[in-house]
Amino acid sequence: MKNTEQLLDLQAYVDGELTEERRRQVEAALPADLDAQELVSGLRQLGTLIRAYEPAATVPASREFYWSQIRRQIEAEQPKAPAASAALGWLRWLIPAMGVAAVAVVVSTQQTPREITLAGGGDVTVVDVSSTVFRSESDGVTVHWIQ
Amino acid sequence: MPVSVKNDYPSEADETLVKWAQQGDTEAFEQLVFRHRDKIYARALMMMRNEDQALEYSQEAWVKSWQRLVQFQGESSFATWVTRIVINLCLDQLRRQKRVRTESIEAMEEESGGVERQLPAPETNPTAGLEQDELRRRIDEALGKLTDAHRTVVVLHEFEGLEYKEIAKRIGISIGTVMSRLFYARRRLAFLLQSLKRERSE
Repeated sequence: MKNTEQLLDLQAYVDGELTEERRRQVEAALPADLDAQELVSGLRQLGTLIRAYEPAATVPASREFYWSQIRRQIEAEQPKAPAASAALGWLRWLIPAMGVAAVAVVVSTQQTPREITLAGGGDVTVVDVSSTVFRSESDGVTVHWIQ
Repeated sequence: MPVSVKNDYPSEADETLVKWAQQGDTEAFEQLVFRHRDKIYARALMMMRNEDQALEYSQEAWVKSWQRLVQFQGESSFATWVTRIVINLCLDQLRRQKRVRTESIEAMEEESGGVERQLPAPETNPTAGLEQDELRRRIDEALGKLTDAHRTVVVLHEFEGLEYKEIAKRIGISIGTVMSRLFYARRRLAFLLQSLKRERSE
């Protein structure tokens, strides 16, 4: 009895999946191996049989019904009219551009450092909404307060 | 676009209808659907073994083929191209349902070599004497008795003519597993067809 590897090798031979060298080796060994011949012949016969009598089926719906469902989906996914598409094309650019502009405005207004002079000789610099810097000239220290 | 002249769609070749459909002619596309719908449905049915799903995926394949029609360059026949689309849809679905990659007891037997001990080698002409329609029906029945995983490799290899590595890629399994599943499936088919022959002679 052949092992699995030998059987799969013979199948690959039938399917034309072996390398040229391996194919020659199998062909050289076949005449002396009746089991292999039988398997090769059987696999070929089975392949020929099922390909020749490939099961067929008929759509269980009328032509009109079958097509109407396809057409409905096709029409639902049709691209918009050219004029509308052109307008949408501008919007595609305009909306992100407006978004970028809005973000730029917010960032520029928030990140402008503001200095507040405190009583006692200290300065507080507000870098953005979430951090504060306290600098004391007299003590020679700078404190960053991050919220 | 050839819509100003009433075309004789049924008598046109696929290539012409495809060209017209690519220009937006839905009547040409309808003719293509009418011409090949049974083949596409049959392939979906063979993969899914469920009429409702086969109907749904075959229609979805036609919608997708319309959407991708500009990509069709004629490297294969139009019917082959749509068949590949429906197969991919079915494979996606089978994968989602874990019906093609799940290991089963049968698969474990197959991997351990149990199949060689249990099933006979394919017999030459096991269905001699059967009528053609009966033969088709019997082969369909036998295919239906395979697991989804085994039937899928048979369909892709025998009916779609795909090589091992292409099947492996499509299903997402190793080439070794493709070979093993194919071998098991063939032996089981041979066994089932032999059984049918025995039933008939009794």
